[in-house]
Amino acid sequence: MTKRSDIDALRAQSGDIWNVAVDEYAGGYLKRRDLLKYAALIGLTGFAASQGLGFPGRALAAGKAGGTVRVGLGQPTKAIDPVSVTDPASIGVISQVGEYLILDDPKDGLQPKLALSWEADETAKRWTFKLRPGVKFHDGRTVTAGDVVASFERLVDPASGSSALSAYKGILSKGGAKVVDDETVAFDLDGPNSNFPFYVSSDVYNAVILPADYAGDFEKNFNGTGPFKLESFRAKQGASFVRNTDYWGDKALPDRIEIKFFDDEQAQVLALQAGQLDVIPSTPRLELSIDGNPNFKLLSVQASSHDQVHLRTDQAPFTDKRIRRALALTIDREAVVKGLLKARAIVGNDTPFAPIFPSADTSVPQRKQDIAEAKRLLGEDGVPNGFPVTLTTERAYDIPDYAVLIQNFAKKAGIDIKLNVLPQDAYYGSATFGSSPWLDSNLGITDFGHRGTPDIFLNATLKSSGAWNAAHFNDPAYDALLLDYGKARDLQAQRLVAGKIQTLLLDETPLIISYFSQYSRIVSSKVEGVRFTAISHLLLDRVSFV
Amino acid sequence: MAVVRHLTARAGSLLLTLWLVSILVFWAGQVLPGDVGRVMLGPFADAQAVAELNRRLGADQPILVQYWHWFSKAITGDFGDSLAMRAPVAPFVLESIRKSSALAGVILVLLVPLGVGAGVIAGLNAGRLVDRLIVLSGVSLAIVPDFVSGLLLLIVFGLWLSWFPINGVAPDGAGFWTNGYYLILPALPLVLNLAGYIARMTRAGVIEAMAADYTRTAVLKGLDRREVVVRHVLRNALTPTIAVLATQSGYLLGGLVVIEALFGIQGLGNLVLNAARGRDFPMLEAGVLVMAAIFVLSAAVGDLLQALLDPRQRRRVSS
Repeated sequence: MTKRSDIDALRAQSGDIWNVAVDEYAGGYLKRRDLLKYAALIGLTGFAASQGLGFPGRALAAGKAGGTVRVGLGQPTKAIDPVSVTDPASIGVISQVGEYLILDDPKDGLQPKLALSWEADETAKRWTFKLRPGVKFHDGRTVTAGDVVASFERLVDPASGSSALSAYKGILSKGGAKVVDDETVAFDLDGPNSNFPFYVSSDVYNAVILPADYAGDFEKNFNGTGPFKLESFRAKQGASFVRNTDYWGDKALPDRIEIKFFDDEQAQVLALQAGQLDVIPSTPRLELSIDGNPNFKLLSVQASSHDQVHLRTDQAPFTDKRIRRALALTIDREAVVKGLLKARAIVGNDTPFAPIFPSADTSVPQRKQDIAEAKRLLGEDGVPNGFPVTLTTERAYDIPDYAVLIQNFAKKAGIDIKLNVLPQDAYYGSATFGSSPWLDSNLGITDFGHRGTPDIFLNATLKSSGAWNAAHFNDPAYDALLLDYGKARDLQAQRLVAGKIQTLLLDETPLIISYFSQYSRIVSSKVEGVRFTAISHLLLDRVSFV
Repeated sequence: MAVVRHLTARAGSLLLTLWLVSILVFWAGQVLPGDVGRVMLGPFADAQAVAELNRRLGADQPILVQYWHWFSKAITGDFGDSLAMRAPVAPFVLESIRKSSALAGVILVLLVPLGVGAGVIAGLNAGRLVDRLIVLSGVSLAIVPDFVSGLLLLIVFGLWLSWFPINGVAPDGAGFWTNGYYLILPALPLVLNLAGYIARMTRAGVIEAMAADYTRTAVLKGLDRREVVVRHVLRNALTPTIAVLATQSGYLLGGLVVIEALFGIQGLGNLVLNAARGRDFPMLEAGVLVMAAIFVLSAAVGDLLQALLDPRQRRRVSS
């Protein structure tokens, strides 16, 4: 029970938008943690701290300083450069030295880093960020508003080789970031966006703040603002970092971080078991090898990552939504989560609104397996005995096994699925319509990594003009709702539109999303305080040895 | 004079082979799905950014133009910059050859005494129990794939017994012996795999030499058995074995992709595999050409050794 005086104190914090969230909290519709996350989103950055919300691991700050944390990562696929980075191993390396305006912490939401506070104007088209004063790059230069603006201008410039361009499409264009004064930066957006702080946070992993004169040679000195700085780097072998004694925040506990690149995950887990590593990425196969072993811990964070099944709405047999719904109804989501994902996932409801997004409308009924209803719908559409169809997908993660499960579920309603499992790069092809099995296949499964907001899923995979719209879904009602969602400024308004979108997508079923996975890492029991995000950032500054 | 002619012809055919291989690699690169810009920026990157990157890297030019750009530089010894690593190709390739050579060296140091020794013992005891045991264990070990034996060896000697490090890469500044020690475990799967084969080759040579007229003559001359074996049998019996070892070196330098990946050794096989995955053509071309050159040269060295060791062939080369 929350006392009335507490609620009044909360109300005093900010304006109407905030008060809607406070009302929801008072009414029991919004958890305290979500209220705090929301406070951060609208820029009430001091609020979380005033509520005694520590950083995860902050309690461990009293842990013993010293020691070397030894990390195993995959092999980076190309030169490490924050601007063009795409692979998990490189993100793991970059997160030792590079920082963002905001960190999207999996537990506590948006945490101010190089930005101290932020706010939007009434239209949510202009966002202003106050920078943390006195922050220094590892080369001794002070971070200025000019560096911040240059960092974003680089990312939205097609000529820079930035891999973040698709994330900023329709949100931020060249010339949108502006210096207001030495410690203030403003962003004029392409359209209203209430979730913009996520776009300058670690969610867009390229958005590391780099010096304005950065020339693309990151591997030379790994010059960032983070708690560690470069000691040595050997391409294809690994890197080591030492504590940055000039760091603006709490100094890192470990003396050193030693990273080794591995081509083979088996070798990685063996090195961990032999005591030669403290932290490695996790896969379901590796989890089996340390299961029940007290020397290791499996740490997980819930993510919005999912494997998206697309049904091409413009091609037989999926032109009729009843057929699409029928296939979706054959799937037993709980069985998939328990069996395939070893319960390290939550059930999805065929829309990108993962339950971890505060704007998701959780009152929309959950779709469950119903073979009788599936058969009825097939009969209604004139194919009572089912139909044959090919499912094309990639050989990656658990996807081939998931494809076999879908094949078996579909059989129950008479739908005869043939599998066509391709190597990952062949599946993506040139990633453009007309020359990509991913975007051209009748029925396919694609892996999507974690995002802090549903925006990019909603825009890129479902909007009629979306670049990743493999379902070829073209629904004016949906596109209109998407505009409303972008304009919705408070949580209540966002959730109202989200509910409509979720209902529409359940009815139309251009996608099947059975689960949202957790993201895990395996660590030695000897270390405490390992933190990470669901998109491969590895935060080791609070690690201590027990 | 004949030897010079022979070597010139060999060198000419080597260059022709390399030129054809370079064309083949370029052509094969064109039929792979995706392009370098797409691979570098990932499937979710914006098409405009991908097109811009391809333009900057020259990957949007017609294939013949791209090939000519590459070729005209390559004949001057400039293999260009790696697209993925944004640095000159040559140091990467040289480093990978160094790593692969070190591994191949350790393999040969362990393999030759084991394979040849077992083969000689089996050949001298043909038909007896020891012979059968050697042949049978050789065949059994040869059918175990290297990734299986590699993993088993890692688990037993690296994890349980901790005799060897899990990783095949010695720390910076390690000396000759330390580097060798780090490579013993990665070498063992190949040693076990090839030992049976080398032993069978040696055994066959020994049996053939033991039955030959010159051996009988030597025995009748009253030479003791050890002298007969060392001076007459082994010299003749080892000729095919040496030729086989020479031709295997190509494979040992460029074909150990699985072992290199398992033990984290950035050798030539690994380099070529990753370059192909990343559509990194300058790196791929350089890696494959080096590999092709090693294969052709090691075959040539094998022929030459065989010619030098076998009097019948020696006459054929110099006539």
